Amino acid sequence: MIGAYPSVVVRVVCALLSPFILMFGLYVVAHGHYGPGGGFAGGVFIAVGAILPRLTLPEELAYRLVPPAVGPLAGGVGLLLFLLVGTLPLLVGGAFLDYGAVEIAGMEASRVRYLGILVVEAAVGLAVFGAMVLIVDVLTGKDRP
Amino acid sequence: MIIPLDLVLFLVLIVTAVLALVVKDLLAAVALLASYSLFAALLFAGVLAVDVALVEAALGAGLTGVLFVIAILATTRHSSPRPDTRRRWAVLPLIVAFLGLMLFASTGLPDRGDPDAPAHQGVSQTYLTDSFTDTETPNVVTSLLADYRSMDTLGETMVIVTAALAAALVLVRRVDDPSDRTDDPRDTPGGDADLDRDLDRTDEDGYGGRGPR
Repeated sequence: MIGAYPSVVVRVVCALLSPFILMFGLYVVAHGHYGPGGGFAGGVFIAVGAILPRLTLPEELAYRLVPPAVGPLAGGVGLLLFLLVGTLPLLVGGAFLDYGAVEIAGMEASRVRYLGILVVEAAVGLAVFGAMVLIVDVLTGKDRP
Repeated sequence: MIIPLDLVLFLVLIVTAVLALVVKDLLAAVALLASYSLFAALLFAGVLAVDVALVEAALGAGLTGVLFVIAILATTRHSSPRPDTRRRWAVLPLIVAFLGLMLFASTGLPDRGDPDAPAHQGVSQTYLTDSFTDTETPNVVTSLLADYRSMDTLGETMVIVTAALAAALVLVRRVDDPSDRTDDPRDTPGGDADLDRDLDRTDEDGYGGRGPR
């Protein structure tokens, strides 16, 4: 509904910038163990990278890059992934969300916790990304999604 | 050298907040709010809360501004004048009293970085010392959010997804009859007619139009 921005400079700059914002968002999600950030901030960055084409590029092109169905899908999948990672230790006799209880051959419990944190951060990032894209889509689209 | 920087940032925060309330153009108010978030992020980074600063910069200064701008495009750009200005002065003593109470209460807080502060006594010691051996994660904030207190993070994520779904349910304009879909009236009470026309013209330029359904 917003449509293309009239100036070609703005369109080109935003088209060039958005993949780099996406990449930075992925970096923030994956690098949460060692630096600032994590799933929440990274998910917001990825969402901004997906929303920028919607604000500036022609509508058909923007919706082809990131379809409107991605919003609710990513939000639901992220939340489900978090819940699944939480219930996985329950199956092997641990507590809910206690990743260290899962035993993987050749790995210490701390390493399993490390991996659990990574999966949880990715799930949170996915959920936040989906939620933000969904909100922007219902604000801009007349009868979508 | 850090304390004066904090004071300057606090001053700028107050000025931007007051300006955002005073200014008549809502787009300028959105820009001021975004700059407010940016200065708040600087303040957080100044007290070494980099995780909070990153989220504040991304969400407060970035995405919230975008959402506000989209809301302005859908409604109107100018704030309506207040009907009664005298009532504003009536709440002034209340605000002053509240400010005095908060300032008085802040004198009872421990100093920043005080190792004897109550917040640094209990379980946080365990988190700080055991985080690396438990989870191989140097960033304690991440291991705290995603491992020790992952139930809180799960609740937070649930709140975010549920809020987005609720916003979608409220805002989506589902037209049940397919023949109505082309002339769906833009129901904007007090909307800006010029803005609407601009939007429609942009659509007709050939850039816009409906996306794939």
